[in-house]
Amino acid sequence: MSNNKKNVIAVKKPVKTDEMLAALAKAQEQALKPQTKPIANTAMASDASAQSKVIDREASTTADNDEAPKETQLKRYVIDSDEQKKSSKHQAAMQLNEKGFGSFIGTLTGIDVNDPKQFARAYYNPKEFFQGYVDSAFKVSRSKGQVRQLNSGWNPLIIFPQTDEVWLDVDESQLRAFSGLAINKTLGEKMTVTPLPQDSVNLERALEAFYSMDAFMWKIACWASKGRYPVTIDIKQPVYLKHWPNFTRLLVTPHALRIAALLVQGPRTLDNVAEVLNIKPQYVFVFISAASALGLAGQVKREADVLVQSPEVKSNKNKGLLSRILSVLRGKKA
Amino acid sequence: MSQYKIIFTGPVGAGKTTAINSISDVPPIKTDASASDMTKFRKSSTTVAMDYGVMNLPGGEKLHLYGTPGQERFDFMWDILITGGIGLILLLDNTRADPFQDMRFFLDTFDKFVSDTAVAIGVTQMDLSAKPTIEDYHVQLQGMGLKPPVFAVDARVKSDVSLLVQALLYTLDPGLEG
Repeated sequence: MSNNKKNVIAVKKPVKTDEMLAALAKAQEQALKPQTKPIANTAMASDASAQSKVIDREASTTADNDEAPKETQLKRYVIDSDEQKKSSKHQAAMQLNEKGFGSFIGTLTGIDVNDPKQFARAYYNPKEFFQGYVDSAFKVSRSKGQVRQLNSGWNPLIIFPQTDEVWLDVDESQLRAFSGLAINKTLGEKMTVTPLPQDSVNLERALEAFYSMDAFMWKIACWASKGRYPVTIDIKQPVYLKHWPNFTRLLVTPHALRIAALLVQGPRTLDNVAEVLNIKPQYVFVFISAASALGLAGQVKREADVLVQSPEVKSNKNKGLLSRILSVLRGKKA
Repeated sequence: MSQYKIIFTGPVGAGKTTAINSISDVPPIKTDASASDMTKFRKSSTTVAMDYGVMNLPGGEKLHLYGTPGQERFDFMWDILITGGIGLILLLDNTRADPFQDMRFFLDTFDKFVSDTAVAIGVTQMDLSAKPTIEDYHVQLQGMGLKPPVFAVDARVKSDVSLLVQALLYTLDPGLEG
């Protein structure tokens, strides 16, 4: 049999749709075979080929026009079994309710952040906490495009800017305690950010100790805040939310979804958010601390924006129904 | 009694059937058939009419969960399914060649429904394909003048799907107390 005949796919007459589609699929498979070459699209891929599998996916020009794909494009990605084992990175978010807030986030002494008369003092300076040092280290690592290590005299934090990951092998309770303490000058002077030697970059590490940079930063900002707002925010001026945070992979503090839903509609002051939603200000403050740490929230700077009235919150006509759905989703019995 | 429903849509393989299964109180009714066309590269069977699940609400009410068939040739079903819906969950598969194109297609298709109600977007398979990132989706959406919730979702995980639906409901009314 000649080579040309080898590539012939026969369809028996009378031609049936299924048989023709199967033949076309086979032809497409053959046509694409020689072009398939493993490529790496993650930093880990090149040296993780033993655990990885390259997949080609087809896509038509519309959503899924199976009958008439006008143009076939391939997406190649690496199935990295190690990536799927990074449970801390891909696991569902932890959702805190009001009861669990104090014990998980921490409590403050000497100030009642929910008292409007004390709002002016209810702030913290992220730079004085682990959050500030991690933020600086992230910026350096990202700008240099280098794997870097934050040395703190404690367990080192390794930052992988290409994959937006950090690695820190400590118990969560230790991290919570460390993140909630203001770092004194002596310890602060010991904090350094150094490039990780190339031979250390590819060392095997506990996969469950990898976190996404965003989820890590969000959490340590919550622990530093303890229900206060960051010093960079003027309590009297409105704040904006750029877009919804990726809540399925972040620590969900009490009422965080409601706060996000309200703030994406337009800028508001923090106490206005608490008032409109009828919640304690500490829940707004902790949310803004975490969202600011990720660059999602910030202060409205233009005078014109301050003057713009945020839209009035109108109750949905199905409010009762929506509340009942929520109560079921949140596992409550109404 | 009124019929309340949430619609799950998205391309083939994005996890609509699985997502409905994650939050339904009854085993979902599936109308699958063996994939005999291009879909078979993605999975052995596919939804050809719709998926259907139910959430039982206090007071005996029911929330109906409808999944649209992903293939465009069944788009005549979509208009029927969205009638009376309270919102749209759009699931996108991050391993597809151009998930932005998928997103634009479905948002255009359900444009009227979304503007009358709300949409929340779940991006699946991000553990297999990290790019585009969630931030990339927001950039695209801002270009379309939209700011919906966009979450990384594992459709098998109840809390992921639950959070996405909760975000949809809060988008409809941030004042809700659950």
